[in-house]
Amino acid sequence: MTAPVLSATDVSMIFGGLTALKDVNIELHEGQILGLIGPNGAGKTTFFNCLTGLYTPTRGTVKLHGRTLPSDPAAVTVAGVARTFQNIRLFPSMTALENVLVGRHSRMKQGPVASLFHGPAFKKGEAAAKARGLELLDFVGLSGLDDELARNLPYGDQRRLEIARALATDPSVLLLDEPTAGMNPQETEAARQLIFAIRELGIAVVVIEHDTKFIFSLCDHVSVLVQGQLLVEGPPEVVRGDPRVIEAYLGKPPEEVQAEVRQYAEESPAERTQVIETVSERTQVMKPIREEGGQQ
Amino acid sequence: MTIKDAVRPFARPLVIVGGVLAIIAALLPWATFTLNEGPYPDKATLQFFDAPFAVSGFRLHTLILGVAVLIVAFAPIPVRNRIQRALGWGLLAVSVVNTLFILFGGGGLGAVTAIDGAFAFGGVVGIIAAVAIILAANSGVIEPIPHWNNKVPTLVAYAALVVSFVALLLLVAMMLNAGGQGGVGNPYAGPIFLSLLGFLAGVLGALHGIGLTGWISRLSDDHKWFSVIVLLLCALALPFTEAGTDYWMTTAANIGVYAATAIGLNIVVGLAGLLDLGYVAFLGIGAFVAANFSGAAAAKMGFELPFVVAAIIAAIVAGIFGAIVGSPTLRVRGDYLAIVTLAFGEIFKKSAQNDIGGFTGGANAIPGVPPINWFGQSFDKPLTIGSLELPSGVLYYVLIIVLVALVMVVFANLKNSRIGRAWIAIREDEDAARAMGIKTGQAKILAFLIGATLAGLAGAVFAHKTSTVAYDSFQFIESVTLLAAVILGGMGSIPGAVLGAALLLVLPEKLREFSDYRLILFGLALVLIMRFRPQGLVPDKHRRAELANEGAEGVPIDELNVPDDTPGGAKAEVAR
Repeated sequence: MTAPVLSATDVSMIFGGLTALKDVNIELHEGQILGLIGPNGAGKTTFFNCLTGLYTPTRGTVKLHGRTLPSDPAAVTVAGVARTFQNIRLFPSMTALENVLVGRHSRMKQGPVASLFHGPAFKKGEAAAKARGLELLDFVGLSGLDDELARNLPYGDQRRLEIARALATDPSVLLLDEPTAGMNPQETEAARQLIFAIRELGIAVVVIEHDTKFIFSLCDHVSVLVQGQLLVEGPPEVVRGDPRVIEAYLGKPPEEVQAEVRQYAEESPAERTQVIETVSERTQVMKPIREEGGQQ
Repeated sequence: MTIKDAVRPFARPLVIVGGVLAIIAALLPWATFTLNEGPYPDKATLQFFDAPFAVSGFRLHTLILGVAVLIVAFAPIPVRNRIQRALGWGLLAVSVVNTLFILFGGGGLGAVTAIDGAFAFGGVVGIIAAVAIILAANSGVIEPIPHWNNKVPTLVAYAALVVSFVALLLLVAMMLNAGGQGGVGNPYAGPIFLSLLGFLAGVLGALHGIGLTGWISRLSDDHKWFSVIVLLLCALALPFTEAGTDYWMTTAANIGVYAATAIGLNIVVGLAGLLDLGYVAFLGIGAFVAANFSGAAAAKMGFELPFVVAAIIAAIVAGIFGAIVGSPTLRVRGDYLAIVTLAFGEIFKKSAQNDIGGFTGGANAIPGVPPINWFGQSFDKPLTIGSLELPSGVLYYVLIIVLVALVMVVFANLKNSRIGRAWIAIREDEDAARAMGIKTGQAKILAFLIGATLAGLAGAVFAHKTSTVAYDSFQFIESVTLLAAVILGGMGSIPGAVLGAALLLVLPEKLREFSDYRLILFGLALVLIMRFRPQGLVPDKHRRAELANEGAEGVPIDELNVPDDTPGGAKAEVAR
């Protein structure tokens, strides 16, 4: 296999006494779509922030094309890692095209003096950037909406615009933080097609998502993060069937939980009978969900 | 809502009644005493009533508004309610201003109901008419503003632009001249001016309602250079109108200095979103630097530099200070930055007051800064071209118009560039801007630097124009006035900053006889404008786009749809 585009080695992030990430390793290869899943609070977004320079990892290194990434978000973007945000963070009072042009910022060269005089070179650069911006809007499916204010776009379109803006930075790695949150099935499907199209551009993609169905149908490789640690990784088929993943998402199988609780109760039986009944009721409810999940 | 529903069936008759009442009001007496004669207390010679039907006479305005309402009511016009609403508000403003003035400035209730049983119902009838029209217009659907096609032959567009800009020039001249110069000797300037303002606001609102102003503004967008040139020519033509007096030239030059500074501030506040409460310090730095190089007796430098050179040095020095003041922006944001800039403004004032380094003259100021003198023509003397004598101060006016034009070009060019977009992105969401590869620290300092440079340039002109540069011209209240000009006009908009500066300087001149109350009136006006037009008087293109979606109730869209893109959690998540 070729050298990885992006590699995170033993990344740990400690906030005060809280270990948010512990020795996370990830390798991302060209043309790969990597899924990052895990329950809430598992440290997925923290990991993204380590990759994009918003956080400096307490330990470990993040390398892009073999070079360690700087710990400044602007510099990381210049180096070629672009991202979208979990809660959309467009520039609401700018038009769609202007949002994309801001993404283009680091690839344009005009300084203050050129901006002051608007000479021929400036105009040429500006026209090229606009053309590229329109192209990207087309690419994500927002043709004709370039003059619309970002805040007036429907939710799904705002997500697309954020992707277009990230693509405008000419990234070699694109990080998508929950790109389908709040989307209906049609929009989710469109997002899936869009991410495939982005891979066709030769851009490696990392996706954080809660929708496991979406992740398993999209990614070449899935990493499961639980409580700050990498639990399982591998191709979707492998990860999907792994009992530890199911446990992390849905809890232990009902029989096991009941057995454990019973054992616990036996140690001091009297006051804990009530607990056992509650637990068994709840595990019974979970059973069908589990089975459905396993069939996917 | 209930009033609306109650009025709705009678809307049409009510509007007609309102229009007729307005015409009656115009013909009724507004005060019980005979105009310009008779013994009614010392107010009998009210110049206020000199010529009620003259161009600046409120009764003529009332008549025009009434007739317009009736015409609109009977003519097949699609946006009837919107037009009538605007006309109604104009009528209300005219009636209220004049009635209040007659009551409070004209001798109390006696001015309306004399002891001998004479009544003057003009004002009351006018107010009733206005309320009727507004109620009736509001009870119906306020129609969307029609969109006129701006793809017209170039010649037509040029003609429309020339006509509207010349009309604008005449309006400005008329407004400046309305009621004459305010002061103790002329207590009527304020009411006449305000009344005219109300009338013009009503008429402009109506024109806006039929889509005319929107069309003109789109035309001027399409023919940018042509409109800039025509507008510049119109500004240069002001000295040739009725406003071409010493007094107004001086005031207009002051407005120009403030407008140029306000545009500079607009880069910092309007584009980059960095609140600066000590901005006038940069104007002061520019002024003191220019004064020190002017050859004035009190100047630190014993030699005189040509004005242009001194102005450039002033701009550079102010820019350097701007970068210094801007450097805390790397660490502090929002309110904290405002406090830092506020402190800088105070430091500047105190330093200047204490004559630190001998540059500012302390309490003695630097007097006797010589006027600019080019080609043997001193700028503070009247200018004679052939047989035409123009008032003194006209050359400063012209110089400042050129300066403002220059500052506008700088602002517009920067705004529509990579750097301008970076500033706006920082204003909208600094973390996202950083994630897009923008070096936010550099960009913010650059905003401060360029804004301060422009203010320094304006300061250099200011020093020569006022001839005395004293620390107390650059106090906190001036910073606040500048900020108010930017916000009032519309953040990030050039015409807005100019209009804001003009209003904030002209209003105090016109309202001199209310000197005790003028700050109250002023504050009230600001509060009302911010309540009903939070985006400013002439908002930026983007904010205007939001306005186009104004709901049927007339609520601006951003009140309905509060942006919810940065909840606390998100900030915490990405904060270091």
